[in-house]
Amino acid sequence: MNPPSAAAGVLVAAAGAAPAGRLRRAWRRVRRRPASVVGGVIVLLFVVLAIGAPWIARTDPVGTDWSQIRKAPSWTHPFGTDDLGRDNFARVVWGSRISMQAGVFSILLAIAVGMPLGLVSGYYRGALDQVLMRLTDAWLAFPFLILAIGLVTIMGPSLTNATIAIGLGATPTYIRLTRGLVLSTAAEDYVQGARALGAGDLRLMARHILPNIFSSLLVQATVSIPIAIIAEAVLSFLGLGVQPPAPSWGTMLNAAQQFLESAPWMAWWPGLAIFSLTLSFNLAGDGLRDLLDPKEY
Amino acid sequence: MLEFLIRRVAISIVTLIVISVVVFTGVRMIPGDPARVMAGTDADAAGLEEIRAKYGLNDPIPVQYLRWAALAARGDLGRSIRTRDPVITTVARKLPITVELACLAVLIALAIAIPAGVLAAVRRNTVWDVLASSASLCGVSVPNFWLGIMLILFFSVRLGWLPASGFVSFWESPTANLQRMVMPAFVLGTALAAVLMRQTRNSMIGVLSADYIRTAYSKGLAGRVVIFRHAIRNSLIPVVTILGLQAGALMSGAVVTEQIFVVPGFGRLIVEAVFTRDYPVVQGVVLITASSYVLINLLVDASYSLLDPRIRIGGNP
Repeated sequence: MNPPSAAAGVLVAAAGAAPAGRLRRAWRRVRRRPASVVGGVIVLLFVVLAIGAPWIARTDPVGTDWSQIRKAPSWTHPFGTDDLGRDNFARVVWGSRISMQAGVFSILLAIAVGMPLGLVSGYYRGALDQVLMRLTDAWLAFPFLILAIGLVTIMGPSLTNATIAIGLGATPTYIRLTRGLVLSTAAEDYVQGARALGAGDLRLMARHILPNIFSSLLVQATVSIPIAIIAEAVLSFLGLGVQPPAPSWGTMLNAAQQFLESAPWMAWWPGLAIFSLTLSFNLAGDGLRDLLDPKEY
Repeated sequence: MLEFLIRRVAISIVTLIVISVVVFTGVRMIPGDPARVMAGTDADAAGLEEIRAKYGLNDPIPVQYLRWAALAARGDLGRSIRTRDPVITTVARKLPITVELACLAVLIALAIAIPAGVLAAVRRNTVWDVLASSASLCGVSVPNFWLGIMLILFFSVRLGWLPASGFVSFWESPTANLQRMVMPAFVLGTALAAVLMRQTRNSMIGVLSADYIRTAYSKGLAGRVVIFRHAIRNSLIPVVTILGLQAGALMSGAVVTEQIFVVPGFGRLIVEAVFTRDYPVVQGVVLITASSYVLINLLVDASYSLLDPRIRIGGNP
């Protein structure tokens, strides 16, 4: 079996549509890590929450009710209400949409920018590689949040701009990672073989190199997405991301800070939501890394 | 060794130049007229023209960059729009506070990470290993600003043991200073401790299977001696590298931590500057942060030679 199709097979296996034998092997490996399965299930639950927000939270997440200000958790408001009488449960549920959006789209952006640059840099090497690597060094020198703060200052605070800023902050990691993977993959015999058969640069990159590094990028994404989710919450917490009254977990925590004595529940739920989502992502990511690790095949 | 250092210094200088170009361009990309940005909103047309002439804003961009870079290299980063103080003196006033916070955070992180990492490696695949790894996973996943809020809720609001916020200079009252710094430093150190613990565990496991450790054991040395005298020192080299690379995360974390605990440091300065549209301060802080990251990592690379004699002698590490 030649390596490109093996890698494709791993991906298909991960998607759940592989030949029975490989699927069973994958399942056996998954079963050894129950924590990762639980993590994956919780991540899926959050996806359902984000998509189904309008049906799951029947109360308006931005509707204020002056008779219900800072009420403790009860049957009608399971997570209590906030300083404007809004239902915290609805806000936490709708907040998952913003968190997921920021987490996933920012990393997609980072991959979309970083992967081609790393590919070109690692494949052609030489002067272009040197220039790109020095740029990446400088890029990496800006701490994630400081870069995001700088970009949001230039572009203005909003969910879209925060997502772009987080994505650009994560990009150099993907340039470096892709470049490293390309350097080692391009030296493989089967790539050399394909080149000897007359395959052009584009074909080599698209058909022989990319499919083989894809699973590593996917694993890195499971590491980056929780970081991006926290970054969005931080930016919104600082007032540089999602603007009120939109229900972001970060803005909710910002409001909660002023009422720690009188309404501590305002701080519990959004924080627990971020924590459980990022923890589950990390757990699921560990499992995925194990599953996709070609060394154990 | 020397060759390695010269190469690293050269790369760092190139990186610093690129950083300065990026920071300069970034501020130029802010929508609107830079003269108006510098003058504030209440300047008239004549005032704007005066500022353009004074700061050479009518010159070609590369000329402006060179002039700005020359001044920045001498420590002149302009003046704050809000307070009219030179940016560099404002930074010099705020920086020691953040440095203290960061140092305490690193101390806390090391005090947790190294013993836990070594224990997890030595007692591999036991309940200790599982406990340490789970704690580390939680440490990476917990959003530090929420952890900060929860600590305030518990230790300040509920128990009333520690002040929730504020800052007292160490020279004024060391106890009051530490009382106010312990929670922010712990919050800032958590994520770092988690990352360092994982690294310590992995490199310790690597070192423990090395030949020279087996030799030490076969000489009849006690397990304690082998671990403390022979294994830990070598397993710390990658830990120091990670510490350098985490300096950026530490600076990002300081921004949030200082915001929650109202610590008047570097991180609070940049957030305030963003909200008051104090561009010279934002520019200065971003430039200084990125440059210090480069310098810290240069120092980390240089410090290898102290930890690993193979590099000092000039062999291939």
